[in-house]
Amino acid sequence: MSAIVTVRDLKKRYGDIEAVRGISFDVQQGEIFGLLGPNGAGKTTTVEILEGLRKADSGDAIVDGIDVQKQPARAKARVGVQLQQSAFPENFTAKETVELFALCYGVTVDPLALLKQVDLEDRAGQRQEKLSGGQRQRLSIATALVNKPRVLFLDEPTTGLDPQARRNLWELVRGIRQSGTTVFLTTHYMDEAEVLCDRVAVMDHGQIIAMDPPRALITALLGRGFTKPVIQQQANLEDVFLDLTGHELRED
Amino acid sequence: MRTLRLTLMYFRAYLRDRTAIFFSLVVPLMLLLIFGSLNLGAFGQVTVAIDDQADTAASQQFVAALQKIDTLSTKKESTDAALPRLKRTELDMLLVIPKDFAIAPTRAGQPVPTLTIFGNASRPQQVSVGESIVNEVVTRLSFAVNQAAPVVSVKEEEVQGVRLRYVDFLVPGILGVNVMQLAVFSVAFALVADKRRGVLRRIMATPLRPATFLVSQVVTRLIMATLQVLIMIGVAVFLFDVHPLGGILPLLLVCLLGSVLFLTIGFALAGWAETENQVPAIAQLITLPQFFFSGVFFSKEAAPALIRPLTDLLPLTYLNDALREISVQGATLWDVRMQLLGLVVWTAIGLALAVRFFRFDRF
Repeated sequence: MSAIVTVRDLKKRYGDIEAVRGISFDVQQGEIFGLLGPNGAGKTTTVEILEGLRKADSGDAIVDGIDVQKQPARAKARVGVQLQQSAFPENFTAKETVELFALCYGVTVDPLALLKQVDLEDRAGQRQEKLSGGQRQRLSIATALVNKPRVLFLDEPTTGLDPQARRNLWELVRGIRQSGTTVFLTTHYMDEAEVLCDRVAVMDHGQIIAMDPPRALITALLGRGFTKPVIQQQANLEDVFLDLTGHELRED
Repeated sequence: MRTLRLTLMYFRAYLRDRTAIFFSLVVPLMLLLIFGSLNLGAFGQVTVAIDDQADTAASQQFVAALQKIDTLSTKKESTDAALPRLKRTELDMLLVIPKDFAIAPTRAGQPVPTLTIFGNASRPQQVSVGESIVNEVVTRLSFAVNQAAPVVSVKEEEVQGVRLRYVDFLVPGILGVNVMQLAVFSVAFALVADKRRGVLRRIMATPLRPATFLVSQVVTRLIMATLQVLIMIGVAVFLFDVHPLGGILPLLLVCLLGSVLFLTIGFALAGWAETENQVPAIAQLITLPQFFFSGVFFSKEAAPALIRPLTDLLPLTYLNDALREISVQGATLWDVRMQLLGLVVWTAIGLALAVRFFRFDRF
């Protein structure tokens, strides 16, 4: 495996606030990489620099061999992007939204095939603003796949979704990885990172404070003598919820 | 090609937006229909009540002569009835023909019948026009009686603009104001919403060049402006019998130049505003003074003299002046070059503001 995203000593400040304080890491080709951290840790800034939406003050950001700072347009053509708030122009149908983004990337796609991939083919003719939150997140992923990206950036993809929609999205992300696309996601849901990510980096106050596979991080914590003050349950409330309401995706 | 397809996509979306269509087409048409059908047609007319107290052949001849004059809208009415109407400014003037009225030769020193005119002080222009017409008629009748040839003969030449109906005056102003409203509001509202919701940011995460996106937005609005202008001119021609003397194409071209100008202001506003709530306040601040001081519904001369030097420099004043001269006076684009220059200067200012405030790297 080789690195598809390389970040070296990246720094970014907004006025007095040092949002990113010289971070370095690699993302390997084909993995699902999670950038974790509380709100304001610098995750979104880091991702937006990698997406070519922001300029770093210093340091390197290389995606698929392209220096994002120097050639943002070339880098943008290689990556897929889902921003934290996925919003699209109004009065476009789901299908037209995919076509719009294909046009933005200068590629031709089969919009219906892409919508089918994210399980939205029966919503193709519906205005995107009428879609539910989960549907819009999936449409957002469809638009992020129009250019067959080498790396897919997902910024808090499951925030605000119900448990069914979250699980549905996880399956979708796993499927995308199966097809060879590297996935770089940010989240502050630890359960999500634990089940989805091959490796995670934990970020706080603009710095990366830990980076490893989730299991290794947990093992290391236990090795330091950590014990949970509560009894390990065989199931939790979410399991109850899903048992009662089913895994079936809810839309309306 | 990419720009064209992007424009068509956005135009299709625009046509689906009922609110936008309402404000782009329905509201302008309502303005035109309401103001066009208001009976402000007496704009170039003087309404005169005539109290013929003599009621003789001579006085009837005099009244008949006055009634033949198009500029006067006459009505026989007693002084008692007419004076209150004059006070309510329903009349411009009241002409009282005395009992001793006669059209007869007079000798020097002999008293002559005296016509009395009550003028509406709030309509001095109309009153002075009415007075001079009455004087003119009196003079002509005197000549006829004295059997003397006039010392000076006046040949009447009809001048375009003199018999201007209100709707002829109105249509260019309505075109101008709607071009302004469409450009400022359609861009500002749509793009502030797209900015705040992160739509622009998402588009900027693609390799699409900002210029391509901007052109698609501008051209979409220019197509809408063209539609709007053509529909309004169509209604003006077929419903109100307005005939733009300088031709429809020059009107359209000037409207499009005006659209570009106000689009730059719309983009500057969209770039500056953080939320949609800020848009109407600032947009009204920009457009409302021009609504009233730039000669839309009434002459720009109505602006207070103190601020006239400023109101003459407003972008909409240049636009309306150019449109009105083309429509009413049959001016060519070359004739209105100074107004067009004014529009170009404002466009340059607007463009500088748009570039300053509408920053893709900040979205």
